[in-house]
Amino acid sequence: MTAAEASVDEMVDGGGRVRPQWRGLLGALSSLPEGGLVARARLLDRAFEEEGSAGLLPSHAAPGAAPGGRGAAGRLDPVPLVLDGAEFAALAEGLAQRARLLEAVLEDLHGPQFLLGRGAIPPELVFPNPAFLRPCCNGVPGPFLHLYAADLLRGADGAWRVAGDSVVGMEGLAQAYANRSHMARTLPECARAVQMRPLRPFMDAWRDVLQRAVGGEPAGAATVALLTPGVGHPHWAEHVTLARDLSCALAEAGDLTARGGALFLKTLRGLQPVRVLLSRVPGALLDPLELGGRTAAGVPGLLDAARAGNLVVHNHPGAGLAEAPALPAFLPALCRDLLGEELALPSVGTLWLGDPGSLARYAAAPTGFALRAAGEAGRGAEALSGDPRGWAAVERPAASLAPTLVGERLEPRPVALRLFLLHDGAGWRCLPGGVARVADAEGRGGEVSKDVWVLSEEGAEIRGPAALQVPALAIRRAAGDLPSRVADNLFWLGRYVERLDDSARLMRATMARLDRAPMLPRDLAEVAALSRCLLDAKLITEEQLPTSGDDAALRRAMLQAGRKGGRVHRLTGEVARLVEGTRDRLTGDMHAAFTLPLRDCRAALMEASTPAALGAALGGLVRYASGVAGVAAENMVRGGAHSFLDLGRRLERGASVAALLGHLLAEPPARVESALALALELCDSVITYRTRYLHLLQPAPALDLVMADPANPRGLVFQLAAAEALLAGVEGGGDPSLSAWARRLRLEGEAMAAEVAGAAEGATAATLLSPRLLALEESVGALSDAIGRRYFTLVAPPRLLGVDTAEAPARGAVRGAA
Amino acid sequence: MIYRLRHVTAYGYELPVEMATHLLHLTPRPLPRQRVLDAALDCDPPPARRTEGIDHFGNPSAWLYLDRPHARLTVTAESTVQVTAPPPLPAATPPWEAIRALALGYAEAAEFLFPSPTLPPVEAARAFLAPYFTPGRPVGEAAVGLIAHFRDHMAFRAGVTTVSTPVEEVLRRRAGVCQDFAHLLVTGLRMLGIPARYVSGYIRTRPAPGGVQRVGADQSHAWVAAWMGPEAGWIEMDPTNSLFVADEHVVLGWGRDFGDVSPLLGVILGGGRHSVTVGVDMEEAASVSG
Repeated sequence: MTAAEASVDEMVDGGGRVRPQWRGLLGALSSLPEGGLVARARLLDRAFEEEGSAGLLPSHAAPGAAPGGRGAAGRLDPVPLVLDGAEFAALAEGLAQRARLLEAVLEDLHGPQFLLGRGAIPPELVFPNPAFLRPCCNGVPGPFLHLYAADLLRGADGAWRVAGDSVVGMEGLAQAYANRSHMARTLPECARAVQMRPLRPFMDAWRDVLQRAVGGEPAGAATVALLTPGVGHPHWAEHVTLARDLSCALAEAGDLTARGGALFLKTLRGLQPVRVLLSRVPGALLDPLELGGRTAAGVPGLLDAARAGNLVVHNHPGAGLAEAPALPAFLPALCRDLLGEELALPSVGTLWLGDPGSLARYAAAPTGFALRAAGEAGRGAEALSGDPRGWAAVERPAASLAPTLVGERLEPRPVALRLFLLHDGAGWRCLPGGVARVADAEGRGGEVSKDVWVLSEEGAEIRGPAALQVPALAIRRAAGDLPSRVADNLFWLGRYVERLDDSARLMRATMARLDRAPMLPRDLAEVAALSRCLLDAKLITEEQLPTSGDDAALRRAMLQAGRKGGRVHRLTGEVARLVEGTRDRLTGDMHAAFTLPLRDCRAALMEASTPAALGAALGGLVRYASGVAGVAAENMVRGGAHSFLDLGRRLERGASVAALLGHLLAEPPARVESALALALELCDSVITYRTRYLHLLQPAPALDLVMADPANPRGLVFQLAAAEALLAGVEGGGDPSLSAWARRLRLEGEAMAAEVAGAAEGATAATLLSPRLLALEESVGALSDAIGRRYFTLVAPPRLLGVDTAEAPARGAVRGAA
Repeated sequence: MIYRLRHVTAYGYELPVEMATHLLHLTPRPLPRQRVLDAALDCDPPPARRTEGIDHFGNPSAWLYLDRPHARLTVTAESTVQVTAPPPLPAATPPWEAIRALALGYAEAAEFLFPSPTLPPVEAARAFLAPYFTPGRPVGEAAVGLIAHFRDHMAFRAGVTTVSTPVEEVLRRRAGVCQDFAHLLVTGLRMLGIPARYVSGYIRTRPAPGGVQRVGADQSHAWVAAWMGPEAGWIEMDPTNSLFVADEHVVLGWGRDFGDVSPLLGVILGGGRHSVTVGVDMEEAASVSG
């Protein structure tokens, strides 16, 4: 098979007739109104754009985040790939055999290594392979594979071949489910017209597998955790979705700790045991003590927990060896040897170049092959260099073609199919669906995917096995076990969104005054007072303060703050990063509400070149902050996640109001009226004041409203009282010393307002509060730090001892000199 | 020969270490030529959890888990070991070129043919050994020649290298310590297609009456075992002292390089700067009173 031969068309047979499995879909497509498919494709694009938020993340937070990693650039083609039921059954059976075979190979290579001894697998594929983890050979029990993904291509002869085995990342499962629900929503006519097999039983079976693995306990909370490399990983969104669909905890290595031979998740309530770890991290990065040796990633003691039988890792840390690119060359013989069967589903032609005959075949036609490191998945080369034993040559097969929407018409494009298999305890079952990736005209692929529809066979039993019997759940009202890192992220999300809001209000008030022409002395004084607040909020620098009527630098600074590198721009980036980091706690609607308006604001801020445009963009930010607060208030269950989001907001606003008042009141008593007016404006309390006191502006009532009134949600005491209540209600009982601290701050705020109310000279008493308010701001900051220490366990990063002696003199090295 | 061994490793930390996990290769490995009469490990402060086992290479290993803050850690390993000299190098060994193909059929030998995490191929290491591997020469004979080569061309000098000094630099300096020589010899042998292990252990530094003073500062020692075909098996060579191992070496364990058999490897949280002192006592039991 070479690329020169004609590719098979998935939809049309050699005689130009539409294959039977496509007829239902084509019928439904042709009955769409004129231009219907193109319009539906736009709907799909928009849905994807709203889901993806990769474009918002600061670039440093997403190293290597491939644009094709189903971020903003991911697209779903409106035409699915249709597979006939019998054809799918053959693929599923072939892949189940392959999974059994790989399991047997892994078991041997991590145990007796008979296959090496009798030459069935060359040692070159195993011993120098970084995925061969020697510490996994001793006492880390199998099975090795629980979930398995395979990539398939259909050659010119019409036969499917396996082009790749994935047992570590297995990306795309969440995408298959998301694609299906997008298709059902966007093209319901087609979904109804085709009798296709549902995806749901597979996920149900997976949940049952986990349920059994953790024993009788409900598989929620922390008994199962999905280990992700973190928010910067290209497949972070997939990890979030899987964790949510499986109702398990989403953890980064830093969220886990091994104690006493078991693995735990660090939560607000303490350490919660983890019995099953769904790892999406390469095995070598799981345990720095035994597997890394050079890097301080992973959880020291994780392998110990696995050896002790207290933890099962899906897939086994040693499973990655099955991805060795040269292995398919040996599978037909291994299948006869280990299973006593013929390999049912062939691989794409693979040669191990350590074999002289294979090397000669490769040398005769090197352009027909791609070179891959024999052992190491993911490393390739253009030309053969060095020892040929280190290389595999993989044929470049022609893929089959499937109709794909390009512009406004359908064109045949090469597709690769990814299927997923789960071991359900009795055997391997294949997801009747998957992801098809479309290559562009140059044969590169990845960005456009297709849903995969498997037709139901006539009379086939499509129901899964009866669900596992689970004891009735006890009613729980607590928020569950919130991981400390998630609480940390939510707390800072609350703070940063509020900081955006405060900054926007301050800048907007300043811009409004700078716009007045001519500027009256009163405007100049207010601009000066606002500039002090801007300086304190680090929105401008000392050099940008207005001097004797020259405010050009100040105007420039306002515009600059929203542009790249500016403080407001950076804050929006931080907010976006924190939203991503807490994505597993947000519903799709909430996530959209937290990201889409922010993206628009960010763009508007970057483009704003006039004061009017800046003002509009700042208004957008203020509305965004209110939107986040509203969505959170209406959609998040109280306690846990919501507590920390709200706590962050209350403390930030409390500190900000105290600072604002402190700076505005740093004026001679004669100018206090203008300070009060500004304070009311910035605290969004002008209308309330007017309805209460009409136009008479006096210190005592104004400060009562923005400081002491417990009913004003923009006032100081409101924030501190809310923080006090939230701290007292943190799950696990809270820390009395922290809520007492918040209470002291609240009482201080009330006392200050009362002093002004009781003073004969209100204006003088008000200006005397300035230093005390600034001290209160600092104390709120200290309380925030104390909350961090108490709940977010800021632990120093792990370090290795005994390998690198950079810190110690050579004579003192662990091993020392001979 | 019976030896008493005592190996003390003491860490001191500038700040308390919150949590620590340590992997130890400090217990002598039982071998046909080496009987371990007794062995004990002590850890101060006592660990929250301690497990023992055999690693992939068959070496005794122990794991210590400490989850209380501690400002120092002392690990003491004590053992009594009876050592006899291994059988001498057979008179006839296969030509060195044949070793690689033979080794591929024996997984336990094949494993040591390949580069390892800290020992990538270094052409200069191959060239350093190459003069002794003339066409068709029996591998044992080549080994006899090259072991003398170390005495003439490499100088033992402590303090110029660390545990992570690459082989190229050792060759440039023509000096180093036992570990450097072992890494150099392992790298060169593997590139010539001869399986080579890194062996960690101890050497008697105080000579028997009338014996020769051996190099080694009463600390850990390292040498090499080379596979010379299915009949000869693994032959142990000490490049630091330019000799074939007899009954003056005690084996802790072996691996592909130092990283596989580091006597004490750890991952700590906290701690700040650290200091470490290592002391090894090795005495002939006969000379110990009682």
